[in-house]
Parts: sequence; structure tokens; C-alpha cells
Amino acid sequence: MNIEKIRQDFPLLNSKNGHKPIVYLDNACQSLRPQAVIEAVQRYYEQTPACAGRSMHRLANEVSRQVDEARQTVAKFLHANRKEEIIFTRNTTEAINLVANALDWKPGDVVLLTDKEHNSNLIPWQMLARRFGVCLKFVPSNPDNTFNLSAYQQALQGGVRLVAMGFTSNLDGVSIPAEEVVRLAHKHGAQVLLDAAQTAPHQRLDVRRLDADWVAFSGHKMLAPSGIGVLYGKYRLLEAMQPFLVGGDTVASSTYEDCQFLPPPEKFEAGLQNYAGIIGLAAAIRYLQQIGLEAIEKHEIALNQYLSEALKSVPGLQIIGPADARLRGGIVSFFIPGVDHHRIALMLDQMAGIAVRSGQHCVHSWFNARDIPGSVRASLYFYNTQEETRQLVDALIKIRKVL
Amino acid sequence: MFCVVSFIVLSILSVFSAENRSLAREALDCVLRRVTLRPCNTGFDEKMKAKILGFVITKTETGARILNRFFEPLSWMFILLFLGSAFFAVRGVYLFYVTGSCNGLNQSGFCVFDPTGQSNQISNVGESCPVVLPGEDPVSLKGVNLSGFPVLNGDSQKRIVFIGSYGCEYSRKAYPVVRQLAEKSGASFTFLYYPVKESSDLLAKIGYCAYRQDAQKYWSLVDSFFTAERSQIEDEAFIRQTLTEAGYNPETIAFCANDPQTEWAVKKQLAEVVKTGFFGTPTVFIQNEVLIGPKPPRVYAIALDGLLYWAR
Repeated sequence: MNIEKIRQDFPLLNSKNGHKPIVYLDNACQSLRPQAVIEAVQRYYEQTPACAGRSMHRLANEVSRQVDEARQTVAKFLHANRKEEIIFTRNTTEAINLVANALDWKPGDVVLLTDKEHNSNLIPWQMLARRFGVCLKFVPSNPDNTFNLSAYQQALQGGVRLVAMGFTSNLDGVSIPAEEVVRLAHKHGAQVLLDAAQTAPHQRLDVRRLDADWVAFSGHKMLAPSGIGVLYGKYRLLEAMQPFLVGGDTVASSTYEDCQFLPPPEKFEAGLQNYAGIIGLAAAIRYLQQIGLEAIEKHEIALNQYLSEALKSVPGLQIIGPADARLRGGIVSFFIPGVDHHRIALMLDQMAGIAVRSGQHCVHSWFNARDIPGSVRASLYFYNTQEETRQLVDALIKIRKVL
Repeated sequence: MFCVVSFIVLSILSVFSAENRSLAREALDCVLRRVTLRPCNTGFDEKMKAKILGFVITKTETGARILNRFFEPLSWMFILLFLGSAFFAVRGVYLFYVTGSCNGLNQSGFCVFDPTGQSNQISNVGESCPVVLPGEDPVSLKGVNLSGFPVLNGDSQKRIVFIGSYGCEYSRKAYPVVRQLAEKSGASFTFLYYPVKESSDLLAKIGYCAYRQDAQKYWSLVDSFFTAERSQIEDEAFIRQTLTEAGYNPETIAFCANDPQTEWAVKKQLAEVVKTGFFGTPTVFIQNEVLIGPKPPRVYAIALDGLLYWAR
């Protein structure tokens, strides 16, 4: 992987942020976009800014073809059985909400989560608990924040309707043993939804091997435009599910009294779709596949190992999650007791042009339960360099001397 | 306290840059919360502190450490400095309005509204170039006998006394303003001619004689000398012509001016002028104020009728 060459594809990495070159370490929130994706989006608006699947003119046909192609690209990216298993959403949150609102719930149905879910994979289920009396159960993590398999097995014993878990945590980068999780869930008659927002951009995803029932992820964390996400679902499940958002282009026909829904994926894609986003997502996937997700994962882990080791020289700094950086993917979430995390992030930006995330990263429940005010999160991607992580550490050492 | 400092600074910056307006609004919210004894919950102070520290740390780590440690006391210090400078700024504006100088009446020193110090410039006695004013102000009409000097509206309660010279550029600037004020307000106007150059003594004698001869015509003569070209006023032909135009007989005036008694009387008058302790022209006495140098018209009006002169 030629990082210097790759970096040339990202306009922001070649420009200056004020007087300092930007060090972008907030990839868990949103990645940068390569020129190829920008151009794909621009091409849509310049050459084919039309509706897919409705009109019959040449522009519409071209968009329909590109959307279909994009769906095929995503399906291949996930190793799905068929492209109809791919539903385009706005983002992961909408994808999870779709499942939460499309399934039939009965009071007492159990949804099993981990204790460090992103709000996107927590609040929709909390709403179900309020509306239908669905019961939420949480699998406590090990003391080092890794997945506690035995606690999970125990939790499954009581009868679970759905296991909804973050594949890779945006808090600490730890991935759950997804294959095992799915196998055990199915063994106990539970369905599985994986929030793969932090997985899809960094690891190879094979939904057939995983055998997950639903997988949700966002485009904006994996080089694609913002406002585009994906829900993968097994076709038979999608067919049986009622649509969540309904309206234009979800039905084959309607009378004043009734309607006839289209088969998946159309029945879940109500209204005019984000065609530029869909086309941009396909371009992003093609770009990622060119580099290779295995190479990406390897690079990020190597960077994380270097960074985690270097961070030991910052007095008082504590990393959230396991000590072994290989288990934390591309995420290093840390805090310094007594020092405000926002202040650290702002100072990093001001003094060195380093962009990191600070706060509770939409995992308020985990922080509140532990009475930790928040953390600073540096999240790496394949275009980040060792030099950039060195800059982060040097800046933190300076900040520590002052604060 | 940092919110207050930020609000002040950002408000000023907001005038010039829209980028700072949202920050200023945030700071205002913070200030309002503090004033109403509620916590500032926007994190504004933290955010700004971090930004400032982030900037300072790139210059000096020690400086950043000190700043971090004494952030609140330093904020207080800036507030006090701001209040101090705001006080002096307001005072400066007020003084400029009332006296024509940011530093007070007849006080020299830099004033941003009058950077060249025009309102304090005078022609020193015996010279024609501007000089810097002395700090002290011993000039007064106390013990000065004004009975023989030309006076207009002598019965008025309000009094203006003008010491000036036809040859002094600054007197020429101030004279029409003061004269107009006297006419408009009905104040008594006493004119004390004092030559700033030796050669101007002649005009003192001519003025003395002209006033003695006809007090009514005298003022148009003075007006003519002040409005004429400076280079002309020493010219004998011009003087004769001006006298004629004012309705005087130049021969009679010349005869009077050459009279030793006139010379003696003029010297006596000039000696009276010197008693005021003045050191340059124009020097204007209005009520109890002494105004040295050509002031803006409002300053003379305020000295005569007070701050609300325009309402009268």
C-alpha cells in the first residue's frame, strides 16, 4: 500500500488548514473523500441529475442503471446472495430504525445488546420498550471492554427475539466475535442485527459467512458521501417484513382503500432516493476494493500499535479498552483524569491542526455508568501515517505539561 | 469572568468580522447566565480557554502553563484594564467635545480626534510659528484694566475677551468664530490687539486711533484686517485703502497714529494685555474659561452657554 500516493487522492490532505497541514484522526465519525468519489457525485449532478425507476427518458434510464449497478457493487462488497438484499437508507441509524419499526413486536420480546452500544443501536430499542413493552437486556463487557462470550451465552438462555449489537465499537474499536455471536443466537432461535458502521470501512465483511440476518452501515465513514447508508437483510426476512417508511415508489399500485407493495428492496425505499449518494457509495467501495480491506485493516492495526505504545509517554493518560492495540482496530480512545477532554481536543486542533473527537461519542450510557465525563478519540484510517500519530503524541505531551 | 472579557473583545471584533458574531452571541449568553447567577452551560469559556492555550503553547510552553494556572486572575486583570481604558476613552471623547482636546482644555499631547493638535496651536508672542503650550495655565484677566479697549455690547452679562493678532494664522482662524458667537449670543466682545511681530505695532496704533475716532466703524476695520491676505496687512497702501473703505480718513488716522501720546497709550494697553500672563495668540476669555489656540466653534459656545448651548 503506497500511502503517499493514496494521500494524493484526498484533496484535504493536500491542502492546508490555516498554516498547518491537517492531521485528520476523526475517521470513526466521518472519513475524508477521495477525488474519485467527489467526481462520481459531480458527474451525477452534471450529467444525469434525474429520477431512477420512474421516468422513461434516457437520463432516468441511465440513473436507474447506475443505481442498479451500485446495488450490485454493494451486494458483492458484502458477499450477499442477491442485490435485492441491499436497501439504501440515509445511514446506519435509519437502517436500524427500519428493522426496529418493521418487525412485529410483542410485549416481553427480548432484545439483547452489549453495554457499549452507540445511541443509534440503543435508542430505537428503548422506543420499542416504551411502545410495545419490549424488554432490553445488556451483555456486560469484560473488565478490559472486550466481548464477554460467557455472559452472552448466559443471556441467550432466557429466550431472545433479537440480538442487536455493534460489530465494532465506535468507543474503543473492539470488535465482537460476530460469527460466534450469530451462530449462538441462531442456535437459540434469535435473529441478529449487526451495526457494522465501524466495521464495513475497515474489515472485510462477508454476510454469508457471518450468516447475520441484518447488517447496517453508513457510507460517510467509508469514503462515500454523507446521507447514504445500507441495510443488508436476508431476502426471505425482508419479504416478510412490513415496510417502515412508505410512499412514492414503494408500491406497484394503489386504490383509495389499499395498495400493493413492491418486492424488496423497493418497498423499503420510499420517496426519491439519494442517487448521488448511492453512486458515490459505489465509487467509494470500488476505491476501497482497489486498496484491499485486508491491507487497510493491517495498516490501521500497525498504526494503532505504534500510537498506543507512544501514548505511554503521556503522563496519566488512560486508553479505553484492551491493552493490546490489535484488538482495537483503528481506534484509540483515551482520557486523562482531571483534564477536560474537550479542552484537549480543542488544543490539539488549535496548536497542531489535529482533528480528533471528544465527548462521549454517542455512547453516553457506557460513560454515565462508569462516571467518566468523556474521552478523546483518535480514529485512524488507511491514509493516516505514522508521522501523524507521532504529531498527536508530541502535542499531547506538550498539552500534558501545561494542563 | 472570562465570558465578560470575551464578550467585550468579540463584540468589537464582530463589527469587522461575521465569523466572530456567533461567538459573541455565545459569550453574551454566558454573561447573561453569570449575571443571573446561573452556570454558563455552553462550554464557551472552556472552548475559548482551550483555543487560547492551544495558540499560546505553540509560542511558549511556560507562558501557556502560567496562563492555564492564572486564567481567572488574568481575566479579572483584563476586565479592570478594560474598564480603566474605557473610562479614559469616554473621558477623552467628552473632553474633546467640550474642550477640543482629548486631554483637557488647553492641554497638548496626542489626541486621536485632533492628531495634529490644531486646536492648541498658537503664535507665540514675538514669533509667528506655533509653539507647544506650557502645562500650567496661569493666564487670567484678574487685575487687568479693560476699560480702554474696544468693546461691543458692553452692557451684556456674558463676556468674551479676545486677544489676537492680525498676523497670527491661528487668530485669523478663531476670530470669525468668536465674533459670530458674540453677535449671535449678544455677549460683550472685547478685542485686545497684540502684535506677534514688531512690525505690527503700527496696526495697534491705527486700531487705537480708529476706535477713538468712531467705535461703530472700528469693527468693520478689524474684520477687514482679519480677512485680508496676511502678506497685505503690513502694506501701507492696503492699510490706507482699508481705512477708506471702513469710512475713515487715512490722513487723520495716520496723524493720530504718529502722535507720541498714542504711542504711549498703546504701550500702556499692550502692558495691560501682558498682565493677563498670556503667551500666544489667540487667547480667548469666555466667562471664567481661558481658551488658548483656535478651538472648534462648539467649544467656544459651550464655554459661553454650557453643554446644552445648541438648545438655547
